[in-house]
Amino acid sequence: MATWTAEVFENEYLAADATDVHAIVSVGCTGAGAAGQSGDAAEVIIVDTSGSMSQPHAKITAVRRAAAEAVGDIVDGTWFAVVAGNHKASLAFPPRGGMVRATEITRSQAEEAVRHLDPSGGTAIGSWLHAAIALFGSVEAAQCHAILLTDGRNETEAPGDLHAAVQAATGLFQCDCRGVGADWDVNELRGISSALLGSVDIIAEPDKMAEDFRQMMQASMARGVADAKLRIWAPQGAEVLFVRQVAPAIEDLTNRSTSVSALVREFPTGSWSDESRDYHVAVRVPAKPLGSEQLAARVQLVVAGEVVAQGLVRATWSDDSTLTTRINPAVAHYTGQAELADVIQEGLAAKAAGDDATATLKLGRAAKLAAETGNEEATNKLKRVVDIADADTGTVRLKRDVSKLDEMALDTSSTKTTRVK
Amino acid sequence: MSPEAVVNVICPKCGDPVGAADQFCESCGAELGAGAAGAADAATPAPGAELGTQLRAPPRSQVEQSLPTQSMGGAEIRCTCGGVIDADGWCTTCGLRGASERDHFTEQPASHVAAVCDRGLHHPRNEDAVAVAASDDRTVLVVCDGVTSATDSDVAALAAARAACDALVAASGPATAAPSERIGHWQAELTAATQAAQTAATDAAAHVGSSENPPSCTFIAALIEGPLVAVAWVGDSRAYWFGDDGTATQLSVDDSWASGEIAHGATREVAEADPRAHAITRWLGVDSPGGDPSFASETLSVPGWVLVCTDGLWNYCSEASDLRDLLNTQAAPAHGDPLATAAALVDWANAQGGHDNITAALARAGVASPTRSS
Repeated sequence: MATWTAEVFENEYLAADATDVHAIVSVGCTGAGAAGQSGDAAEVIIVDTSGSMSQPHAKITAVRRAAAEAVGDIVDGTWFAVVAGNHKASLAFPPRGGMVRATEITRSQAEEAVRHLDPSGGTAIGSWLHAAIALFGSVEAAQCHAILLTDGRNETEAPGDLHAAVQAATGLFQCDCRGVGADWDVNELRGISSALLGSVDIIAEPDKMAEDFRQMMQASMARGVADAKLRIWAPQGAEVLFVRQVAPAIEDLTNRSTSVSALVREFPTGSWSDESRDYHVAVRVPAKPLGSEQLAARVQLVVAGEVVAQGLVRATWSDDSTLTTRINPAVAHYTGQAELADVIQEGLAAKAAGDDATATLKLGRAAKLAAETGNEEATNKLKRVVDIADADTGTVRLKRDVSKLDEMALDTSSTKTTRVK
Repeated sequence: MSPEAVVNVICPKCGDPVGAADQFCESCGAELGAGAAGAADAATPAPGAELGTQLRAPPRSQVEQSLPTQSMGGAEIRCTCGGVIDADGWCTTCGLRGASERDHFTEQPASHVAAVCDRGLHHPRNEDAVAVAASDDRTVLVVCDGVTSATDSDVAALAAARAACDALVAASGPATAAPSERIGHWQAELTAATQAAQTAATDAAAHVGSSENPPSCTFIAALIEGPLVAVAWVGDSRAYWFGDDGTATQLSVDDSWASGEIAHGATREVAEADPRAHAITRWLGVDSPGGDPSFASETLSVPGWVLVCTDGLWNYCSEASDLRDLLNTQAAPAHGDPLATAAALVDWANAQGGHDNITAALARAGVASPTRSS
C-alpha cells in the first residue's frame, strides 16, 4: 500500500481587507509498488515511421533499437502494442491486432517486429492517437500509458484533427512525447503531452533515443498507483483562482477540473510512483474582520474515491504587518519559476517572429529569474541562446547563429522546475 | 416567530428545508442571504459574541494525539452557519473552526484540586494550557500561556505543561527531610521540570516544521506538600496564596516589562496600564532566552487557596487582595469546590470581556492531609 503525505507551505496571515491566499502543497507518495498492481496496466509505443525518418538513416535505426529497448522493460502481464505512425497509423505489433500481455515470448516477438519498421509517407499524429485510443479500448486496463516519438510536424492532417484526437484521448491514457531532430514543433508536442499528463523533451542525437525510451518505460512501470486526483474544497463564497502543478514541472490544472459538489472540485494527476509533486493553489476568500481565522482550502489526494492525504490552507487576518507582509519562500520560489517558464516561451516565440526587442526583454527577464531561483538547467540552456551580460538586472544579448536544437532544448525544458532550497 | 425567521425555512435555490439560523443551505450550499442569519447577526453586535460561539479551536493535526480528546460521540457537529464540522475541525461549508475540547477543558484529579482552561471570547485559539495532579501528599499545578504571535503556541503550551506536571509527579522528594532541606530539593525538582517543559516546547516546534516564529509559552509550576508551597516560573503567568485568615500574597514576580518598571518604583496601576506591560522578558521555546526559572516558597500556617493563573484572569484583577476578595465571592456559592470555583473565576473574566485566553488552577493547601483521589 502506498503511503501519502501532504505538507502545506503558506503565510496564513492576511492584512485587513486582503482576500488572496497562496499556498504550496507538497504531496509525497512512497511504497507505490509497480504498474499493474491495482488493475491491469497497458502500454502503447508509438513511433514515427514517416519518410523523413530515413534522413538521416540513423533516425530509423535508433527508433528500431529504442522501441526494442522499451519493449524489453515492460513488466510481465502488462498489455502492450507498438504503433508505426506516418500519414496513418498501422500496428507494428502484435501482428493480429489488439494488444497482448507481456511475456518473455511476446516481448521477443515485438523486438523482432520493430526491426522491420521502414520509413515512408507523411505525418498525421492525430491518427496515431486514435489508434492508441482504440487499442486501450480493447482491454480493461486501470492505467494506460503511451510513448510517442516524432521527427516532424503534423502536416498531413488538419490542425483540428490533432486537436480532436487529443481531446478524445484526454483522461483515457497518459502520454510522454519526444521529438527527434529539429524539424518538429515544440508547441504541438507540448500540447499533447500537457493534455495527456505526460512529459515532453527533445532527443537531439538519435543515439540517445534508446536510453531515453528505457527511462520513460521504467518510470511508467514504477507507477504503482494507477490514478490519483487532486481534490480541492474552498469555502462558500470563495473562488479558486488557480491550481497549478509547480514541481517537478509546471502544468496549469485550473481548467481541467470536474465538479464533485458545489464547493469541491477534482483535478486529474494521473498515475504515481514513489515521488513528490508540488501544487500551487490560490484561493480568493471574502475578507473577514481582524483576528478572524478560517479555512481557505482543503487540498486532498484521492485514490479510488478515498482521501489518502490532506493539507489545510488557512487564513488569519491580522493587523501585525511583520506577519502579513512576509511572503512564504516556497510560494515566492514557484511564482518565479512559473513566470520563468512563461517568459522563456514568450521570448522564443518573439524571436521566431523576428521581434528581437521583445525577445531580448523576455529572455533577459528569464535569465534574471533563473538566477534568482537557482534554476541552473535553465541558466545553462539560456546561455546557448543569449549572452548574459548581467543576470541581476536581466541584461542579455541575443546570440547570432543559434542552433535550432538549442532553442528547442530551452523551450522543452522551460516548464521543468527546481525545488526550493 | 419573526417574519425574518420564516424566510429561510426552504432554500430559495434548491427547495430543500433549511434551519432558520442557517447562513448556507446544507444541500446545495447556496447562501441564504440576509434573512434569519443576517437578522440574528445584527441582533448580537457584542464584540466577541460571534467568536464565542463559532471559533472554538480544534487541536492542530500534528499533535492531535497529545491533546485533550475531541470525543464528540460520533455525532455530526454543526457549525453556526448550519454546515457540518469535518473531522479536521473546520466547517465544510463556511470554513470556520468547529468546536473543540481544546478550547475549554477542565481537570480535577482529586477533590481538593482543579483547573479550568478557556479560550476566552476574542482569541481564535486557546493557547493557554494547564496540567494538574495529586499524588500521595503532593499537589502539582502547572500553567503555560502560549505566545499568540508565534506559530502553533497552543501545541507548545500544552506539551510543556504536561511534561512539567509529569516530571513533578514522578520526582517526589524525600518527605522526611526537614522543611529547609525539602525546599532546596524542590527547587532542583522544579528547575528540572522547567527543563522538561522547555524540551517539550522545543519538540512541539519540530512538529510544526521550520518557522520564522517558533512556538513559545510562559511557564509556572506550583508544588504543594503539607504546609509547604514552592513556585517556579518563566514569564508572566502567576501564583497567589490566599490564606483563610485573609492573607493575600502574590508568590511569583512577573518576568515582564511592567514588573521591571514596578521594581524601579512605578506604581502597579501605571505600569500595568502601559501598552508594553505584557511584553514578557523570558519564555520557553526554541528561541527561549534561557536561564533557570525564578523560584519562591512559602510555609503555610493556615489552610487556604493556592491559585495559579494566566494573565487572561489577573489582567482584570491584579492586586492580590482584590483577587482574594473575588475568589472568596466566587468560592462561597460553590461551597469551596475548586472546580466550580475555578470555573466561576473563568466565567467572571469572560464577563469582563474575555480578551485573552483564561486559565485558573486552584488547590486547597496548608492543611495536613489533603483529600486524595481514589
